[in-house]
Amino acid sequence: MQDVQTQIPVAEYGKLQIEPFRTEREKDSAELDRLIFGDNQFFGINHMSNEKAQSQAIRFKDSDTIIKVIDNAYNAGIHAFMFNTHDRVSELCDHFRAHPDRYSDLRLYPSLPYAHKYANAVNESGMLGALNEFIFSGRSTKQAISTIIRGGKSIIKKDMIEVMKLLVDAEMRMFRGLRIKAVFLQNIITDLLLGLGVRDVFIEFANHVKKKYGVEAAFNTANMPVLIDFLLDCGIENPIVCSSINKVGFAMCPSQAECERALAKKAFRSIAMAIFASGAVPPKEAIEYICNLPNIRTIIFGASSREHIVDTMNMIYSCWQEK
Amino acid sequence: MLRGTVVGFGRMGITHYSILNRHPQVKFVAVCDSSGFVRYNAAKYLGVEAYDDYHKMFREVKPDFTIAAVPTAMHMDVVKTAILNDAHVFVEKPFTLNPAQGNELMSFLKGKDLVHQVGYVVRFSDVFMKVKELMDQKVLGDLYKFRLEINGPTVLRGAKKSWRSNHNEGGGCLYDFASHGIDLINYLIGPPDNIVGTVFQRIFSKDVEDAVISTFIYKWGLCGNLIVNWSDSSYRKPDNYFEVLGKKGKIIADLRTLKVFFRETPENEEYSQGWNIKYYPSLAEPVRFFVRGFEFTRQLDYFVDCILKNKPSEICSFDDGLKTDTVIEQIRADGTKGYN
Repeated sequence: MQDVQTQIPVAEYGKLQIEPFRTEREKDSAELDRLIFGDNQFFGINHMSNEKAQSQAIRFKDSDTIIKVIDNAYNAGIHAFMFNTHDRVSELCDHFRAHPDRYSDLRLYPSLPYAHKYANAVNESGMLGALNEFIFSGRSTKQAISTIIRGGKSIIKKDMIEVMKLLVDAEMRMFRGLRIKAVFLQNIITDLLLGLGVRDVFIEFANHVKKKYGVEAAFNTANMPVLIDFLLDCGIENPIVCSSINKVGFAMCPSQAECERALAKKAFRSIAMAIFASGAVPPKEAIEYICNLPNIRTIIFGASSREHIVDTMNMIYSCWQEK
Repeated sequence: MLRGTVVGFGRMGITHYSILNRHPQVKFVAVCDSSGFVRYNAAKYLGVEAYDDYHKMFREVKPDFTIAAVPTAMHMDVVKTAILNDAHVFVEKPFTLNPAQGNELMSFLKGKDLVHQVGYVVRFSDVFMKVKELMDQKVLGDLYKFRLEINGPTVLRGAKKSWRSNHNEGGGCLYDFASHGIDLINYLIGPPDNIVGTVFQRIFSKDVEDAVISTFIYKWGLCGNLIVNWSDSSYRKPDNYFEVLGKKGKIIADLRTLKVFFRETPENEEYSQGWNIKYYPSLAEPVRFFVRGFEFTRQLDYFVDCILKNKPSEICSFDDGLKTDTVIEQIRADGTKGYN
């Protein structure tokens, strides 16, 4: 075992560069959808109130209820969805795979990892125990052995970047066979790594996603201006960055003004989320604010009813048309 | 530029490092951890010295400040070593295992001009900062009843052996979860005169309590409950719930929402008679750099600010940590009376 593992080459980190696109398909992936449907409402995530979050969690207890809302969005013309790698998303993916005709134009933007499941596992099993659980959970012995051999060097050398790649693949497993447009690094992890300043992890995440899934890496963050400078410095050109952008400045760090300045001045593909600040801004005001900002390429929003989905879409489209 | 170190590079240690690493007046020079995996990666990717012995680290590095994010049983020696090496200290909660240790640590501070802070981060959360403001203004009049609950899905099965499943090392729901609630009660109302009816419940853990229920009594007429459970799987993540009633009204707060009821028109013009509701998105002020929550940055920036301005920490010093440890010990003593 020792011999097999030591034959695997390990990259020289610190000299990493972003690899170019290799295929037409990869280049196509760079074209982002203008509207993406988000999934927070399905999993009891609401920044405004715990009561609202709980009532959503109750409402979306069954995956059938979630699928009905997804179908409403899909039928209304939104074919792009962002999904966090919550355990329940794998049920939705099974459903998409089982109905290829119905979802022939489905485009997914996975966001990983779903950090709370890691936090709880770290509490229960410690950091290395949690890593083992996630890398090997739900795998056959044969698959697990192949993972050990591939990751063998990282387990022996304990290299963070190799562990990161194994975790990305473990999280991406639920999306197998579905069309992926970009893979997002979830904001808790993006911002933690941004603070640590580990360039190599960002570069290797981007390279790994491109190589393995043929798409671009994208980043969720609450520190948009700082992250853009950092990604550009890593050699990730015209990065895809998703952040809260809303009229009340909620979760726009270091300040709303700095974020607005970054939108006007910096070269990146901006995706706006939390445009309603979890309900703190009335819809019309929220959309007018967003549409008046420069460089907002894509908007992510979530909704729970057909009427709400259609109303929001219409408001955004008519506002875009006016501009 | 302040030279910093972190002792204990686990989930909290890494979070604190990440937040302060972006501070314009902080430079981390070393971290210390018992795990080879962690040391290997810290040295390789963060460009800092990675030690497995903090005594050696303090001797060699002589930092301006340290963040102690080790298991609670180690707080005593890590904090003592930091103080004796003249480093300002931020220590994770709870302060120590018991008031005897806390008092001993306080004695080392005598004659030293060091900033000290305990990581009771909820004090810096948007909603609870607002609650504190209202409590200090005594807007509810005479208080007579409160309830503080913390619930979360942290332990949902018998944990493998770790410091969290061992009382002697600071494990168990009382030290871990409940300390936040006890600290909030101390901060917003004050320590109780008497504690009765404490019940510890084991739900999934073998050796430590997973839930604590306790009654706090104040001689001046207030009575309240502390109800804490870290084994509630219906929660997505831990949450605090605080409800307090006075003769003039009521406050209900969690980490997302503040609700205030006034029987009559209050003096504070921000509020009116009847229900007043404020949601987190309109309360939350952006911070310099965000990791996990506004309050995490706010507490560390406050610590660094105190060092830079040479002023003592007034929001959450070791004195406050010791007060909370004292109440924890009283609850522990009451819980052994065997009400259940």
